[in-house]
Amino acid sequence: MSGLKLSNLSKCFGKAEVIRGVDLEIEDGEFVVFVGPSGCGKSTLLRMISGLEDITGGDLWIGDRRMNEVQAARRGVAMVFQSYALYPHLTVKQNMGFGLKVRKEKPAEIARRVEDAARTLQLGSLLDRYPRELSGGQRQRVAIGRAIVGHPDVFLFDEPLSNLDAELRVHMRAEIAALHKRLRNTMVYVTHDQIEAMTLADRIVVLRDGRIEQVGSPRQLYSRPDNIFVAQFIGSPKMNICAASDLAGPLSRAGVDTSGAVQVGLRPEHLRLVPEQQGLMTGQVVISEYTGSGSLLHVEVAGVGTMLVLSEGQEGPRPDDTVYLAIDPGNVHMFDADGLARRAEDAGVSASGAMVAER
Amino acid sequence: MVALNDTEATARRNSVPWLTLRRREAIEGWLFVSPTLIGFLIFFLGPLIAVVFYSLSEWNLLSQRATYVGLDNYADALTANRDFWHVIRNSIFFAAGLVPLNMALALALAIALCRPGPGVVFFRTVFFAPVVTSAVAWAIVWRFLLQGEAGAVNQLLAHVGIDGPNWLREPNWAMVAVIVTRVIKMVGLNMILYIAALQAIPRDYEQAARLEGASGWQIFRMVTWPLLAPTTLIIMVITTIGSFKVFDHIYLMTGGGPENGTLVLAYYIYEQAFEFFDIGYASALAMIMFVIVLALTIVQLLLRQKGSA
Ligand SMILES: Nc1ncnc2c1ncn2[C@@H]1O[C@H](COP(=O)(O)OP(=O)(O)OP(=O)(O)O)[C@@H](O)[C@H]1O
Ligand SMILES: [Mg+2]
Repeated sequence: MSGLKLSNLSKCFGKAEVIRGVDLEIEDGEFVVFVGPSGCGKSTLLRMISGLEDITGGDLWIGDRRMNEVQAARRGVAMVFQSYALYPHLTVKQNMGFGLKVRKEKPAEIARRVEDAARTLQLGSLLDRYPRELSGGQRQRVAIGRAIVGHPDVFLFDEPLSNLDAELRVHMRAEIAALHKRLRNTMVYVTHDQIEAMTLADRIVVLRDGRIEQVGSPRQLYSRPDNIFVAQFIGSPKMNICAASDLAGPLSRAGVDTSGAVQVGLRPEHLRLVPEQQGLMTGQVVISEYTGSGSLLHVEVAGVGTMLVLSEGQEGPRPDDTVYLAIDPGNVHMFDADGLARRAEDAGVSASGAMVAER
Repeated sequence: MVALNDTEATARRNSVPWLTLRRREAIEGWLFVSPTLIGFLIFFLGPLIAVVFYSLSEWNLLSQRATYVGLDNYADALTANRDFWHVIRNSIFFAAGLVPLNMALALALAIALCRPGPGVVFFRTVFFAPVVTSAVAWAIVWRFLLQGEAGAVNQLLAHVGIDGPNWLREPNWAMVAVIVTRVIKMVGLNMILYIAALQAIPRDYEQAARLEGASGWQIFRMVTWPLLAPTTLIIMVITTIGSFKVFDHIYLMTGGGPENGTLVLAYYIYEQAFEFFDIGYASALAMIMFVIVLALTIVQLLLRQKGSA
């Protein structure tokens, strides 16, 4: 088992620089998720770790070995592809044993390890089927099984669940989490589903344009984003971003010091509907989206713009209703002119305030 | 509902009661396929039936008189001391040389040229161009290149110290020469088929295999080759059929010679019919060839069904 170290890693395709100086340390046994918008370089970075893509600049360490020039097969990594990449002409058993077979492992040993992995993933009854005879979830499990059989140090997943329907995705997500708990391997997981990232990760790495925007635990990224990009990328529905000057009045009434802030971020779940006399802002509902447990309101606030507000309960306001909003003072995010989070010395205070407000 | 109303309306409007919507559609359908159908009857089925009749008669084109002789022509071909078995042997030899050579070369070229890269489009064009080149021009150029002493091929061989044979004048070498020149002409077609098949194999397979430690050869043997199997089967059958039907190439390169060394079935039929005017015998040969090609076609269809099942 081993951790990973990426230092100043970069990648060019011809003239296009796709990964630009990535520094990252991944602990042994950690579950790290790369997220970011499409085309930001998540897959490329993962493939550089795997050895399927060569490294233009910087160093890659797995365990205490520098791996830049090491062949993919000798890096001790296994990868689960989005397409699963199961060979259609081989049975489940043969697919899972493929890697051992090409490495000239003894048939008895191959059979033993395939059966081990099959037991772990409850694939026992499927071993003699062909991939085309399996459901999406079963194929996914076989793909993971194939990775397990080789006893790799590091597992790499490239959007492994994106071909599954929503229900199965949730189920397989839990299975992958359980697998990590049992195997305790280092796992690097690429997704652009931030719920997947939040639920699975020990730490999330947010990428944009080939650079790391922020690294942190899901909780850190949610409650203390370093910049507007991360603030808006993590959390659903998206955080409201408004000009600080437009919100100066309501915020000072809420007791929030906005000095130095150029933009202010408020999560929809941190805006509350209140009776008129407690309201800090007044707005009009434009759209109301029923979500089951509540409604997502698009509220037009004069002089500020449209804000998303999460209202709980079944009897939410209707379009054209006038609503009054209160701000959770502990959960106001402030950003400077460059979009970077402003956290003064009192950041600690407001953070603990947030904790209190959460209770 | 709409369809139902339509039917009723049609029925009421129609003065001819038997012309229901269903019958009308059937008639329209037959009208649409009739041009092809008529063409098929006149230009394929008609001649085929005619050939069957010819093959059962003794008919000399010059005397213009036909007499029924039963299966004599077939017996003549299969048992009498005519050239038939020599010709069949030549045809098999031609196929046995051409098919593996063509396929191996096509696959090698396809593997080299299936991914985009510098010069790939250029080389694909180079290898495909002969396929669409006139057979006549191709043969003329090669006859020129393959001349005895002065031919470019032998001069090249002389450079490396090999004393080349007079390619088209010696029976065995002539067969080698027509096979090789035919392969070079037609290999581009199979190359394109293989390229298409290779491009249809997801790259993830190769990458997954590479990550698991498979060498290039192992990936080819254990992943690529089995996935190409359906294509390989089809290519094998159509190339074999093509090689049994080869005519123009032989006609233009050697005229079946020397000493009947390249006399293959299709050319033999032509010779019997239009040089010796023995239409009955030639028709019997044509029927035999038809059966061979039909059998190969059925094999191909069966293989295709098995492949897709
Ligand atoms: N082989 C390649 N040649 C040239 N450019 C490439 C190649 N592979 C990827 N790129 C470019 O690199 C950038 C990052 O691609 P990558 O596949 O890593 O994105 P991603 O973050 O995984 O996106 P997605 O979420 O859509 O999978 C993209 O702009 C892409 O166009
Ligand atoms: Mg990707």
